[in-house]
Amino acid sequence: MRPDERELDDEIRGHLAIEIQQRIDRGESPQQARVNALRQFGYVPQLREEMHRVWYGRWYDMAEALVQEMRVGLRSLLRAKGLAATVVITLALGIGANAAIFSVVRGVLLRPLVNRGEERLVYVRQSAPGLGTDSVSFSVPEIKDFRERVKSIDAFGEFSTVEFTLVGLGEPRVIQAGVVDGHYFDVVGLKPILGRLVEPSDEGFKAAGVAVLTNRFWTQSLNSDPTVIGKTIQLGTRSATVIGVLEPSVPYPADTEIIGNMVTSPHHMGAQMVTMRTHRMTRLFGRLAPGKTIEDARAELSTVHAGLKSEYPESYPERADMRVDVTALRDQIAAPARPILLILLAAAAVVFVIACSNVANLILARSVRREGELAVRAALGASRGALRRTLLAESLVLCGAGAVLGVLLARPLVAIVASFAAKFSVRALEVTVDSSLLWVGASLAMTAAVLLAYVPRLPSSQSPPGNGLAAGSIRITPGTNRRLKVFATTQVAFSFVLLAGATTLLASLIALRGVNTGYEMEEVLAIDMPMRALAQSNADDLAFYQRVTERIGQLPGVEGVAIGSVTPWRDAGKFGIGITFGADGFTPADGEELPRARLRSVAPDFFHVLGVPLLAGRDFTLEDRRGAENVVIVSQNLAQRLYPNGEALNHKMWWVDPYFGPKPIPQRIVGIVADVDDEHISPSPVMTVYHPLHQIGIAGRLFVRAKGDPYTLVKPITQVVQGLSANQPVERAATLEDVRAEVLAPERLNAFVFSGFAGVALLIAVVGVAGVLAFGVSARTREFGVRLAIGSTPYLLLTKVLSEGATIVSVGIISGTAFGYLFAGIASSYVEQLRMPGLLALLGAAAVLVIAALAASLMPAARASRLDMLQALRTE
Amino acid sequence: MPKNPEPERLELLQGTLDMLILRTLQWGAQHGHGIGQAISSQSDDLLKVETGSLYPALHRLEKRGWLKSEWGISEANHKAKYYQLTAAGKAQLSRERDRWTQLVGVIGKIMNPAAE
Repeated sequence: MRPDERELDDEIRGHLAIEIQQRIDRGESPQQARVNALRQFGYVPQLREEMHRVWYGRWYDMAEALVQEMRVGLRSLLRAKGLAATVVITLALGIGANAAIFSVVRGVLLRPLVNRGEERLVYVRQSAPGLGTDSVSFSVPEIKDFRERVKSIDAFGEFSTVEFTLVGLGEPRVIQAGVVDGHYFDVVGLKPILGRLVEPSDEGFKAAGVAVLTNRFWTQSLNSDPTVIGKTIQLGTRSATVIGVLEPSVPYPADTEIIGNMVTSPHHMGAQMVTMRTHRMTRLFGRLAPGKTIEDARAELSTVHAGLKSEYPESYPERADMRVDVTALRDQIAAPARPILLILLAAAAVVFVIACSNVANLILARSVRREGELAVRAALGASRGALRRTLLAESLVLCGAGAVLGVLLARPLVAIVASFAAKFSVRALEVTVDSSLLWVGASLAMTAAVLLAYVPRLPSSQSPPGNGLAAGSIRITPGTNRRLKVFATTQVAFSFVLLAGATTLLASLIALRGVNTGYEMEEVLAIDMPMRALAQSNADDLAFYQRVTERIGQLPGVEGVAIGSVTPWRDAGKFGIGITFGADGFTPADGEELPRARLRSVAPDFFHVLGVPLLAGRDFTLEDRRGAENVVIVSQNLAQRLYPNGEALNHKMWWVDPYFGPKPIPQRIVGIVADVDDEHISPSPVMTVYHPLHQIGIAGRLFVRAKGDPYTLVKPITQVVQGLSANQPVERAATLEDVRAEVLAPERLNAFVFSGFAGVALLIAVVGVAGVLAFGVSARTREFGVRLAIGSTPYLLLTKVLSEGATIVSVGIISGTAFGYLFAGIASSYVEQLRMPGLLALLGAAAVLVIAALAASLMPAARASRLDMLQALRTE
Repeated sequence: MPKNPEPERLELLQGTLDMLILRTLQWGAQHGHGIGQAISSQSDDLLKVETGSLYPALHRLEKRGWLKSEWGISEANHKAKYYQLTAAGKAQLSRERDRWTQLVGVIGKIMNPAAE
């Protein structure tokens, strides 16, 4: 209760006390004195209301009048249930979509991270636009230079992702792990909820291996077991002690299960990692120095980076055009979801505009029907303000109901949109329904209500009220008709924009799905079977793979088995952006850099099992092993690039990256296979070099070609493998078709969500067009009667109404196209890679819209053509 | 609002209640009950001030700054809010008194032209 209210209560009690006292003094019994005093005092709620008026003044009067009007509005709307329901549902769709998407946008793009001092937390990124990659990470020498030279970032934290075979916590399996330096957790501002995190004392070659569990892993896989602290686990070849559990936080750059110190990863201790400037595999986080901004840091880092480029030109090839950038970590994490969310927000806004103009139409039509009523009220002395208030009250009732329904609708929508956005940014996983949904819903409803109250024309004080008063009936004026048509056209135009967008997405999705990948997609099962960390030696490991291949080959239903190193699409980018190579008889043109190719390690029969045609030469055999002649098979594209005249076979090629040792090892080309791009969703010509597994020793992926349903083989295969080696993980079995579908999921969801919006918009627009035409027909019954009387035929009336519908649609489509291009122009400055719809998509969208609108016009048109002339003339 | 005034009572002219309240408070601070009673007794019980009009009027006058109030203990030994004239209230009272005298004079002249 407000203080005023409480004071008033005290004051009333004081008054009554005096009155009772006086009455008792006059000889009344206490009981009677009390009753009489209360009776004399009067009705307290009435007084309270009067007091409100005194306290809150004008506003109180207005609000009270509005509530009164809303009661009247509610009653009159209950008499027009169909209209009210249409309006409420339409608004609910518009409000619900906006509220849901806004919640997700807020959660993903705007909400601060949980990290301490997150406003000073930055992500440092090195990119190589010349090589078409936006993240090449950093090497240890580069980070060392930054630490020494950069002042605007006072602390750097290192994070790299490695795969470990984890033994000691549940089933042995391969996990993603983070490897960090001792400053990482301090820089990113995260705390342990149990134990401690990796600290500077855990750095160095002599330190003991320690591991921190991520919160998700600890709660979901380990049931939040506190006794896990202090346990020793096996990470690949090394062991580590579990020292703590991290607080819940956004996993970036990778969703790992554990985070260890450097010594847990032998690779991080190796000479390559420590000394090679081009061995870039570390992500870099930073904390801005006090008083420095992101712009300062960006400028300083660019200067330092430019210095490094001129000091070590061999590590920063001209063509790669390498750059560094600094972004707030929050923006960096949200970046991938940003364009799609902004586009969805725009789509939702468009749906809202469509919904509003549809509702505006309905309300306009309604207000034309009640022009008589308004005219009577105006004649009785109602001011324009009072009439406006009546209209506002009614639209408030409608929009309020729409908002309530819309928010209810938005609740489940948030979960759907969030799971959609999670494909782009991990932050969407933590999006929850909160009060912002209500605020957005309420403010949209208010906006709509105010707009809608100003749509209908009021009986003007200048024009004599006689007309409206006398007739008390529908008198559709050219002005009103024009407004109705403008709103209908608006709906068509905006729906067209959404439809064109949706057809573009659908078309590209269909194109992607239909692409010939070069693999047998449905019969081949891909299984992760990581190399055993505990194997005695690489040779031992290879022998194991060979035994697995033979045993699985004997299973019923298996047509072929092969070992490889990369699962198509899923493992994209695993070996970086390609490695430079040379070949005999090939000299790059002046100024041209050495070409790059992808490296793959495959067992004999790999090409046969996956269905890749061998175009020339031979396949690998078991004889291509260590100690034998070094051989490779190359892709067709590479063979033609190096040897345009087709004499690639038996020439030699070699890698020139220092990773392969100081002296290049020539390898004879023994075969040429068809091109397969197993990294990109839409294939582009790539150069690939295949090494024999038994010579290069990289494995980890099992491919099985099946007769019948491949998934029935998963269990027997697992049994065979684990029968040979109990600790060997066998994971993520899926046909190549499903692997690709998994990778295509964001595209599919994109198209799905957008089509949903377009569908809703189309529905609303069709209802709108049909409504306007139907209203036109019913308001012009008399006119049609006259037309029939002077010789028009029903057929002419039919075509007249249809052509009106066609006009609305074509004007809508044309203005929609214009608006769409304008909008895309604005949007492209905020969203990169905006795809413009092709002509086919535009035509498709237009066709859908025209057909839908003509179907919608048919009903009112048919009604016009069936009019009975005499009855029509007699109406009104 | 249903009204059932007793027949012999006089209805307050619109706008005069404020003036009467100010006038009543000229003799010092008083609570709402006392103000109401003072007005009735001074009009020989011909004027009866409804609590439903009295309290809104008091709060309105206070809001305009013509009255100020403080809590005290009434003769019934109960908490009561005592109202008091402010300087602005005194000025307002004299303004209203002038206007009222003028109005009574003018209306009297019209109603009883011979009396002049």
